Amino acid sequence: MTPGADKAHAGLLLALGFAAFAVALASLFVGYVHFDVFTAARDALAGRDSIEALALVQLRLPRAILGASIGFTLGLSGAAMQGLLRNPLADPGVIGVSGGAAFGAVAAFYTGLSAAFALALPLGGVAGAILSALALYGLAGRGAGTTTLILAGVAINSFTGALTSLALNLSPNPYAVFEIMFWLMGSLADRSLPQVALALPLMVVGWIAMLSSARALDALTLGEDTAESLGFDLRRLRWKLVAGSALAVGASVAVAGAIGFVGLVVPHLLRPWVGHRPGRLLLASGFGGALALVVADLGVRVLPLQPELKLGVLTALVGAPFLLALVFRARRDEP
Amino acid sequence: MSDLTGLMATPSPWPGLSRPSTPSRQNCVGVTDNDVSLQPEAPVQNGSERSRADGRDNPGHHDRSKLRPVKLLYRAFLACLILFASPALAKPTRLVSLNQCTDELALRLADPENIASVTWLAQDAGNANMALAARDKPANQGTAEEAMAYRPDLVLVGAFTPPTTRAMLKQIGAPVAEFDPPETLAQVRQQIRDFAAVIGEPARGEALVAEMDRDLDAASVDPRGPKLKTIILRPNGYTIGPGSLVDELLARAGLENMAARLDIGTYEQISLERIADLDADVLIANSEIAGAPSLATEGLNHPIVAALSHHMRVVALPARLWTCPGPALVDAVKQLVAATRDLRALAQAR
Repeated sequence: MTPGADKAHAGLLLALGFAAFAVALASLFVGYVHFDVFTAARDALAGRDSIEALALVQLRLPRAILGASIGFTLGLSGAAMQGLLRNPLADPGVIGVSGGAAFGAVAAFYTGLSAAFALALPLGGVAGAILSALALYGLAGRGAGTTTLILAGVAINSFTGALTSLALNLSPNPYAVFEIMFWLMGSLADRSLPQVALALPLMVVGWIAMLSSARALDALTLGEDTAESLGFDLRRLRWKLVAGSALAVGASVAVAGAIGFVGLVVPHLLRPWVGHRPGRLLLASGFGGALALVVADLGVRVLPLQPELKLGVLTALVGAPFLLALVFRARRDEP
Repeated sequence: MSDLTGLMATPSPWPGLSRPSTPSRQNCVGVTDNDVSLQPEAPVQNGSERSRADGRDNPGHHDRSKLRPVKLLYRAFLACLILFASPALAKPTRLVSLNQCTDELALRLADPENIASVTWLAQDAGNANMALAARDKPANQGTAEEAMAYRPDLVLVGAFTPPTTRAMLKQIGAPVAEFDPPETLAQVRQQIRDFAAVIGEPARGEALVAEMDRDLDAASVDPRGPKLKTIILRPNGYTIGPGSLVDELLARAGLENMAARLDIGTYEQISLERIADLDADVLIANSEIAGAPSLATEGLNHPIVAALSHHMRVVALPARLWTCPGPALVDAVKQLVAATRDLRALAQAR
């Protein structure tokens, strides 16, 4: 790699990271009522419990933090899985990891487990995500064709969706059955700071596990044997990526539902910008995902729809045609 | 059941009975099919849509299908005849209720031995006002099949009973009475009377309405006094706007519904942000439905609701008091008045 390319990459990361941060900051100014955000922030910093300060700190701040961190998780996990499976269609939503996480979280929440022990909610999501990821790896592991991967994902998605539905049906609470849309489509409406505190630490651990695999992922593009001869332990790499993405995605889904397609679209758009190197794609996709999700979340708040559109609806409306285009291109390329 | 089968063979008594309880000449002549809260049509349609199998079960029903072309007046005349001749005979003895709100009315107004089944919702003390009385009744899940298993002489359904269920009941020839949720106090009174008439207990209906009105007047605060600014937060972030029954109750409790200023419909979602911004005196939140968790009720546990309690009075009100509008509305008003008494005194002093 030439120093020039390194410099360009640093520039890209800086630009994406700055844009994501700026949009998240700007999202604090967008909501359903108008108030002076600066006064509210001064009140909050001075410990004054004014209504504006409450709205800023308890409602808009958690929404911005979760939007950015969940977007980061989805972009990063998409890039990591695409690198690991060496398949451009791997995305936590498409291959069923998010679906598994949703079932895990639903099981923890509606049984009342998370009411007794708050951490059970993200941990349930993580457990579901790990089970899905393992099932996927068993069905369509290393180097499997795109068709196998997608079919495995369809099967896992259907199965976890059915289990989620079953768990909601079994709940004696009359509202539960109507909440499937939240779990399958995702939303950031009225999230709270305690939810940030529950999910963010797990996400950060997952991020570190994935980001630290960058060099190994680059080596993997040379083939498994070459990567191993270069001294990378592939078993360890797989575990780190599966566990890392499951931790981050599981915790995300547990507080915001399964938001699809961010992990598919963002790495794709950024791949040409990082010289098609999967290791470099990781951090760039993370920032790109954060940027994309916060913008989408701004979108659902600005659109004059009542009740608010689910965030996953917007990402799927953009992402699903994108997936179709990819499939179409793949068909054309392989005769 | 046996003597009633004979009665069922006569032309539908329901249109006449659905009118206010004291039969007057005007009521009998004025019977129409456009009663809003009750569907007097239903039993009549049973006659025309009845299958042959039902006809065999109940040969007397044959006469009814011929009634279809006959003028309304004739039906009304017969209905009045029955009403005046022997109102006691009109009393159904195997009531099956497929709706939580008709459950409550049946449990309040009918003789317990005449209720064959209520829904499972009626037995949950967290959701239903008459759970104690419902406890020893067989429970149903609101399906037509279950209803028929009790061989009902009257099936009570609500606005939320699926159309397929209602169609099925009509097809198999069960007499059906539908009660929609009332939207004003006047409609609540009328519904109690209609219901009492349909189950052959008009006097009890009158007594219940009188009791409710007396208690409500006693619980209400002076309408000329100061009004406290109020907003309601229901599960899933819904609030209740003007033109609703709840709005009327708030007025009775000396509360002004701020939803009116927000240009909000009768039942609409409101973001927590807007609620925080309202600068209300009182926030009425549903108290948690007992038992299983749901995201719908989790919004009521958002930390901002607790934080807002420093700025406004947060009143937790059991949703069951106004889920099915009836005499329990009095308790809702009482609890609201009690929870805001000091605020009202403060406002008065100012």
